[in-house]
Amino acid sequence: MLSAEEAADLIEAIAIRQDRAAFARLFQYFAPRVKAFIMRSGADPEAAQEVAQEALIMVWRKAASFDRTKASASTWLYTIARNKRIDHLRRNNRPAIDTDDWLTVFAPEDDDADKSVLAGQTYTRLKALLGGLSADQLVVIEKAFFEDKTHTAIAEELKLPLGTVKSRIRLALARLREALEKDEP
Amino acid sequence: MSRHPAPDELLLDYAAGALPDGPALAVALHVALDPRSQRTVDRLNAVGGALIEREPVADFGAIDDAVLEKALARLEEVPVEPRPAAPGRRHQAFEWAPAPLVPHLRPGMDWRRVMGKFDEIRLDLPGDFHRVSLLRLESGRGLPEHRHAGYEYTVVLQGGYTDETGNYGVGDFAVGPGDHRHEPIADPGEPCIALIVVENPIVLTGPWGRWLNPLVSRGWI
Repeated sequence: MLSAEEAADLIEAIAIRQDRAAFARLFQYFAPRVKAFIMRSGADPEAAQEVAQEALIMVWRKAASFDRTKASASTWLYTIARNKRIDHLRRNNRPAIDTDDWLTVFAPEDDDADKSVLAGQTYTRLKALLGGLSADQLVVIEKAFFEDKTHTAIAEELKLPLGTVKSRIRLALARLREALEKDEP
Repeated sequence: MSRHPAPDELLLDYAAGALPDGPALAVALHVALDPRSQRTVDRLNAVGGALIEREPVADFGAIDDAVLEKALARLEEVPVEPRPAAPGRRHQAFEWAPAPLVPHLRPGMDWRRVMGKFDEIRLDLPGDFHRVSLLRLESGRGLPEHRHAGYEYTVVLQGGYTDETGNYGVGDFAVGPGDHRHEPIADPGEPCIALIVVENPIVLTGPWGRWLNPLVSRGWI
């Protein structure tokens, strides 16, 4: 196991002193998880492993941009892995914008406006919360993240009216908001 | 805080990485300008993080030690980049542009007058089938009345506009449903600048529509 605190320490160790041992620990913990995650979108094991490797190398490159007060290590890693998945899908089609640029998107412009610190205890709560969503809500959320499908594509696949899918998403998000806001100042 | 946030389902599509480049850019600009939507996207990213943590590693996730060795060897050539300067630095010529728009603004880009009514800069997103434009409307001026064959996303970047669905200011996000006719008018004050992403060609419904529509559908205007 790797706690959120430990993972953040390891990323900072890379930023401060290019700590290769820290990289190895992060790799051993996260690369298999990222690989498993990417395979859910239908990628074969080799391609998924490639994406996982690229994502972890990106963690090394961008370690100094990580800010533990803004996001947990796994949240940050998710955004990197997602962008690598987009790059991978593009490579099979056509090159487009460099998703490196997207990393800046996740840093709010106005620092005071938002202290939504999804790190530490809040994050542990989030894991419990996912378990607390109804099966109907969870299936839509998981399809979005695992299979990178838009809500329109999910509605088509599940043969549900678009309005039903939208209301499931809104209910799930309302639930997350309500539960997480209690933890925030 | 904007009065018209992007709908939750679109923020989920964005956080899940499912949107094509044009709509993703529209949502990115809205999120950069709207702390509440930023917060929702932060939360959704955290859901992504929680889903990754939850992945079982024993079976198909397993990775050979040799792969780690290869990655470690590659690090020799990969520098740890210094912490970037604070995001949100403004573009010189387009000071109203939020950070996610800046990489799309090429040197020499300039406004082009369309139908004598408004100014446009077309953005080129290779591989994306959407029509992505920045539009600038002087105060009191309107866009020609039109409807959309597909959906349309609008994010206001400067000034504001009003149509029959309400008043939209900086950071506001509007979703135009298909078959919806509207005629937005720029509010008093500085010109209204917005990013517009359209799925399918616009259909003009005014008296000149039947002459101009063929030009629109060919992307000439």
